[in-house]
Order: sequence, then structure tokens, then C-alpha cells
Amino acid sequence: MAAVMEQSTMPAAPEVRIRNLSVAYQTSTGLFDAVHKLDLDIPKASITAVIGESGSGKSTLAMAMLNSVTFPGSIRSGTIEYAGRGDIVTFDRERLRRFRGEHAAMVFQASQDTLNPLKRVGAQLLDLARSHGVKDKRKVLREARELAERMALPADRTLTSYQHELSGGMRQRVSIIFALALHPQIVLLDEPTTALDVLSQSHVLEIIREIHRERGLTTLLITHDMGVVAELSDRVVVMYAGRIAEDAPSRELLRRPLHPYSQALIRAIPRLTGPLDDAQALPGAPLELRQIPKAGCVFRDRCPARMPVCDTGTPELREVAPGRRVACHLEVTP
Amino acid sequence: MIQVVNLQKTYPGTRGVLARGEVRALRGVTLDIRRGAALALIGESGCGKTTLGRIVTGLEAYTGGEVLIDGANIAGMTARDRRAQFRKVQLIPQDPYAALNPTRTIAAALFDPLRLLARRGGKDGAWIERRAVELLRLVGLDASETLYKYPHQLSGGQRQRVVIARALTVEPEALVADEAVSMIDVSLRLGVLNLLSQLRRDLHISVIFITHDVAAARYVAQDGQTAVIYRGEIVEMGPTDDLIQRPVHPYTQSLLSAVPVLHGLEQAGPDRFIPRPTEQGESNDSSSCLFADRCPFADDRCKAAHPDPEPWAGAPDDRLVACFKPKERKVVAVPLSGRASNQ
Amino acid sequence: MASMNVQAKALPPLRRPNGWRTAGRVLVRKPGRIAGLVIILTFVLMAAFGPLLYPATLPSDAAQIYAPPSLAHPLGTDFQGTDVLAEIITGARFVLLSAFLAAFFTVVFGTVIGLAAGYARGLVDSVLMRITDVFLTVPQFPLLIVLSTVWKFSSPLALGFVLGITSWGGLARAVRSQTLSLRERGFIEAARGLGLSNRHIVTKEIFPNVAPFVVMNLLFATTGSIYSEITLFFLGIVPFSNNNWGVMLNMAFFQSGAMYTTSGLLYLMSPLACIMLVTFGVVLVLDAVDEIFNPRLKGV
Repeated sequence: MAAVMEQSTMPAAPEVRIRNLSVAYQTSTGLFDAVHKLDLDIPKASITAVIGESGSGKSTLAMAMLNSVTFPGSIRSGTIEYAGRGDIVTFDRERLRRFRGEHAAMVFQASQDTLNPLKRVGAQLLDLARSHGVKDKRKVLREARELAERMALPADRTLTSYQHELSGGMRQRVSIIFALALHPQIVLLDEPTTALDVLSQSHVLEIIREIHRERGLTTLLITHDMGVVAELSDRVVVMYAGRIAEDAPSRELLRRPLHPYSQALIRAIPRLTGPLDDAQALPGAPLELRQIPKAGCVFRDRCPARMPVCDTGTPELREVAPGRRVACHLEVTP
Repeated sequence: MIQVVNLQKTYPGTRGVLARGEVRALRGVTLDIRRGAALALIGESGCGKTTLGRIVTGLEAYTGGEVLIDGANIAGMTARDRRAQFRKVQLIPQDPYAALNPTRTIAAALFDPLRLLARRGGKDGAWIERRAVELLRLVGLDASETLYKYPHQLSGGQRQRVVIARALTVEPEALVADEAVSMIDVSLRLGVLNLLSQLRRDLHISVIFITHDVAAARYVAQDGQTAVIYRGEIVEMGPTDDLIQRPVHPYTQSLLSAVPVLHGLEQAGPDRFIPRPTEQGESNDSSSCLFADRCPFADDRCKAAHPDPEPWAGAPDDRLVACFKPKERKVVAVPLSGRASNQ
Repeated sequence: MASMNVQAKALPPLRRPNGWRTAGRVLVRKPGRIAGLVIILTFVLMAAFGPLLYPATLPSDAAQIYAPPSLAHPLGTDFQGTDVLAEIITGARFVLLSAFLAAFFTVVFGTVIGLAAGYARGLVDSVLMRITDVFLTVPQFPLLIVLSTVWKFSSPLALGFVLGITSWGGLARAVRSQTLSLRERGFIEAARGLGLSNRHIVTKEIFPNVAPFVVMNLLFATTGSIYSEITLFFLGIVPFSNNNWGVMLNMAFFQSGAMYTTSGLLYLMSPLACIMLVTFGVVLVLDAVDEIFNPRLKGV
């Protein structure tokens, strides 16, 4: 399957190539896969979005991509190969440390306190530069200042601030400055606009779009918001219960979702125009780790198109058109 | 049911190293919500909408103006009467997990307020349990599967339904939902929004829906009013759908322009513009239009005088707009023909 | 919307949870906890029934001074020829009972004052905290020395009360700061909005959240009080009114000269070993406390 995909969908070699990735969490009742046998290629210089609800495994996937899954989770199997760098799963500690930040960096949610509350932003930036052996620390600060200005942050004040003196929107932008400080080629954005209101969101999305284009980054966007996907990404991977349900170019997916889950997800979005009845809630709730069935389709309990085969047969993620993969027993035509 | 007249709230400034001047969270807001009506308050974070919600639920004091519940002015009441009045207005907060005591079961959360009512109405213990089961059913939950669980054992949507059920125990006349679905999984949000509409219809409860998500506001206040709040002032107010489709105030238009367009399914509205980000250190000077710094259409007059809300003649229904240069713009996304995707 | 139950079907049917049964299950879930429980129970039984097994005055045998361990005297005898095991068993009651009472008073004062100050805030808080500061400042030992000149600590209640009243300050401060942060939480706000009484909010909403902390303090305060008490007796600060482990240590040290000879070694070591065992038992049980009170950790 992987071979087919490479030929037809990704003309250029992928920047990141994930194969058979399983990440499991140890609980008191056993070992459960948060990400299950996942195959994914992330093409160079594109924005790939991973969309899912709680328990979909999207954040675990992001952590795994930096090999920073923490206890009680662990990468059980699979490879995550970065073009020209090798399989990050096999990296030792020192190599990992250098890799993170210099080659691939993560922008965390604003609600997560990733800054040291007792240190000024500028000092932390210098710490980062120092720990990665950057010679020209002035340059790091200068670029940070430029970035801040562009993001409508008062540069000098921001760098001399403590975390608590920044608003949620400002913190999010500071987080972006940190991620870009060491010029990584790959940026992972974990719910970059979740804590923000619409206006700050539209502004942050604009910045991400610009910088992505300017620096030719390979960007992975983790989100639960179809609006963010539609505004930002070239391609979207819909995840459910640790598996890929559907993988398609963003506009195609919105225009014509093929998996019943994608369809329901899009239909559940309240819209600004059109009849209100167009929006419909999904029955049930997202699965928790230990509720994920071992056999059969993981979405079957909430699926309007459930068939007998869904109880027993696990649907393969198959290519239904160039660049479109779906994991569903239904006959689908894009 | 709830009336606020010229409501003001000023937080005192702080001294010391991190000194800042006083903050005017609300600068004279006037609203009237009738029994069973819906009102959406929309605006960005820090605009004062949450403060307003906390004031009308009695969680915060106000510094000027008046609050009337069922026609009775809250000011001058005894603490006991005030508490009884505010019990009619229940808050549904953003984070249902924080709103439930992690050490207590759902049953305990529901039984306590019901016991109060039972004591007052001379009801027995069996009534309490019956009523709890009934309320859970009303919010779409199965009591046998939720009653003796702890909050962490429920999904986000279920938790928010429990919070709503708990608010209903005291038979309120109004619910104030503050970003009530923003922390819930996307697939479950619509269900909770529907529930709020259903309660309005069936129990004749007024709903004040506070959000920055205009689409969700449209959903809850479909047949009600929407007020757009900017820096503690109402800048535009009118019937919800009319306001969204034909916004007049540039700030309303900014908010609507900022809503992501679902490319592939819809296209950007013809007049959509890129809203300007929040400036740092905006002037606190209320002798000009507060939005003038960020407004793409502002001129000298906007910086010289402060506009008051006035009826806008261009709309079919009543619309209030506080702007010197009101102009209708189509900024909302337009659906592409044929939503074939949705069968 | 009606069907929120898809996921719930996978779960076992619910019954009303029984707090005591869950606590019991948690306590025996790990072998360490069982061991701790057994140790504590042994000493509790010793304190409860020990004195009933022996005559009020233990017989002494001048011919058997410092006898080595034997079948008749498993732990040997002391300087008077009294059986050490008998002394340990009969001496447990006073030590453990007064230590438990001391811990009880510490926890009750600390929790009540901490909750009251943290919840009421304002003037009540200031007054209560100044009082707390006074108690935190007054040193325990000198106070006891002074008190013992006017007061005979012959009953465990008296000693427990004095130990308790001098050591609740730290707990009160800790409970207060936890209460201060808890009262800002959403569920407290909700309870207030629903018109629930302050008493209800403090006892039913806030207290369960500080309960694991309080119970841990109860356990720690018990062992802590044992140490203080033993020290008092060892130093001879409080008058000897009956036989207990502290008196034994004192005697072993000053009467038997345990520093210089090895003949009284068992006499010295036995009470020390008991104190260590009790502490060990408490430490072993301690890790179950969080699990008993935190619903997130319960079972699953």
C-alpha cells in the first residue's frame, strides 16, 4: 500500500515518512494503542493538517514525531524517517536534543505553560540558543524582535516580559517565535489557535501562512477545528481512535468527504449561512482509549452507514483516487 | 426577565511594579431579556462579555447602573433576597470539568440543591431521586449510566449536560452560557447547543449565550437578538440572523470576516476584509470611538467624538448601531452551490 | 441527541459506590499496604488489650536482672528483673493513645481553623492567622517544661491535648492556602450560585478536596507525636506517672547505663524498634490514602 501511495500521490520525496507507527499507553488495565499502525507521508513544503477529537491520537502523533512521548506512553513499533536525517525513533538522547528545535520544532497550545514563569522571555530565548550552541546570539534576538514586530507584538516589551504579563494571544505568538528561533525546516503546530478568539485566531493563522511560505517550511498542523484546516492546510488527515479515517486534499475533503466520520464531522459544524437544520450532531461520544474495539471498524458505533462487516472486518486504509485514502467498507467514489 | 440599565464595571488599578491603570470592563451596557427569549453576546476575549455574565448571575458586583431581575432592582435588597433573586439566573461556565467537584458523584451534585428545594416544598427523599433522574433525562442523559459516576468518568459533552441539569435543579428562569461549548469535542457541540434551544422552548427559560463563535451564537439565538460588545460597550445589536447576514458596524464586520471560510464548501463573502489585530496600549479615551484605532474605515470624526447606539434605518427590523460611518457589508462566507457531500 | 449512551454500554452496570468497601479494597491492593496494615493493627490491639494481660504492677525478680532472652523472657529483663516484653506490651497504650489524641487534636484544630480562615477571608482570616502565628512561635518543649511544673501529665488525654494544641499551626496554614485556591474553583462558584449554604460548601465541597491531605497529616502527626512524647519522657521533662516506652528508654539510658554496658541492650532497643515499626507501618499505608480519596485513582 505504501508503495502505491509514493508513486501516485507524492511526486517529491516526502519530508517525513511514518510507517506502521504504534504508540501505546500503559494503564492499570493493560496496554492501549493511542496511535495504531499508522502510515503517513508528509510532503515537503506543504501544510498537512491532522484533525480529530479527543482520543483521536492526534496529539500523541505529534509527540511521537519528535520522539517525545512520555511515560506512561511509549512508541511500540514503527519508524519515523526524516529526509536526510534518518529514523528519529532510533536517535539517542543527545541527537534527539539537537534535532528538536534545530530541525523540527513544536508550537504548543497557548494554554500550556511552556515558558518558564520565573525568567524573562528574552533570557529564555538566549538559553535556547546557548543550549544548541548558536554562535551568533545577537542574531537570534534580532530575528526574534523582527518576528515580534511582524506579529504586532511590541518587541522590546515582549522580550523583557515574564510569561504572566502576556495575554493568551501574545503567548501563542511568543511560542511561534521560540519554535522558529533556530530555523527548523519542520514545524509542528499543536492546536495553535485553540485558546484564542476569532480575531486573534485569524491573525495567528495569517502569520503562520506567511512564514510557512517565506521559509519554505514543512508544516504539520494538529487541530480539532475544520475552519482552521480549511483556511490553512493543503491536505488533511482525519483521525479517529488512533487510526486514519481519511486522508485527502483539504478542499476536496470539504467538498466531498468520503468517510462517514468526515461527513458527520463537517455536518456538525454550525455555519453562518444556510438553513440551520443543515447542521446535525453526531450520536455518541469519541472513544476513550480502553473502549477502542480490537477488531472491526472503530467508528461503527457512531456510524449511520454501519453494516454487518463493520463488526468484524477492520477496514484497510486504501487509496480511492490519487492523493485520497479512506478506511471504510463502503464503496466510495470520489 | 433580566434588565440591565447603563451597567458599569470598573476594576481598580493596581500599584507596584506591575502597576496598571483602572480597567473599565463595562462602560454602560443596557439590555432587556424577556422570559423565554434568547440573546447572544459576541465579542473578543476581554471585551467584557464574561463580566456581564458574571454580574447578572450574581457572581460579581457592579460599580454603576442597575440590574433588575423579574422587575425587581437588585440594589438595596438584603443579601438573602438578592441570593434568592440571583438563583433564578444560573451560569453554565466554559469548563464543565472545573464546574463539577472532582471528589463527588453526579448524584451528590444534583441531590444537594434538590434537598434544599425539597425542604422548602415539603418533599421527601424519593422525590429528590426521582427529580434527579428526570432532570438527567431532560438533558439527554441516562441516569442509570451517569448518576453514580464521578465527573472524570464522563465525556466532555456529558459533563456539560450534567452542569446544565444541576443548574435546572433550582428551577431557574434564565441560563447564562459562557462559551459553554468551546471546550467540548466538535462532534458533541451541536448536541449541547440544541439542548439549550430545547430548554428555552420547553421550559420557557431565557438563554444568554456568551461567545466569540458567531456561528454558535447564530445557532442558539436563531430567533433572538445578538449584541456585539467591544471594550465594554454594545456597538451593534439586532435580530441574530439579520445582524450576521447584514452587519453594519465595522467591528461586527471584523468579527465575521475573521471566521474561517470552509474553502471547498463555501467562498469568502465579497466584502470580507482582513481584520486588524488588537493594538497594544489602546487609548482608554472615551471621547473618541473606541474602535477608531483598529477600524479600516475610520476618519477624523471617529477620533474626535464618541458614537452612541442609534437605530439604523437600513435594516428591516430594529437594529442599534454605534458608528459614525455605518455601512452594510457582505463579509459572511457564501455557500458554494450544492452541498453534494452531505447527501 | 437522545443517545449519549453508545460508549457507556461497554462499561459494567453501575451500582451505588460504597466508600468503605472501596477503601478496604484499596488498602489490600498491594502487599506493602497489607503489611503496613498488619503492623498498625498489631500495635492497636497491643494498646487496647495489652494491659489486661498483665497485673497492674509488673512483677520484678531481683535474681533475674538483665537476663538474656529466654523462653520465659523473650526480650530479656531490665535492671529490676522485669520482663521487657511485658513492659513493651503494657507500655504501648499510653504512648499510642496519647500520640493518636495529639494527632487528632492537631488535625481537628488545623483543619477547622484552616478551612474557616481560608473560606471566610477578610477579618476572620486575619484574626485566625495571627492566633496561628502565636502558636507557631511558641516552642513546644519549653512550654511543656513550664506546664509540667503545674500539671501532671498522667492521662493520655492531657498529654495528647498539650502536644496537639502546640502543633496545629503548620497544618492550619496549609489547609488555609488550599482552601483559598479551592474557593475560586468553578464548582464552589456553582454551589454558591445554587444557593447552597456556606456550611454545606465548606463541609461537602471543599473538605473532600483537602481530606487526603488531612488524613496524611493525621498519620504523620501520629508518628511525630510518638517521637515528641518519647523525647519528653527520655529527657525526663514530663514526670513519670506510669510505665511506657519513653520511660523505658530513659531508664535504659540513665539507670542501666546503656551507653557503657551491653547488658541492657535489648531493654534499650525494644522500645526503639517498636517506634520504628509503627512509623514503618504508617509509611507503608500512606500511599493508599491518595487512592482512597481521589476518585480518579479508585479502581477502574
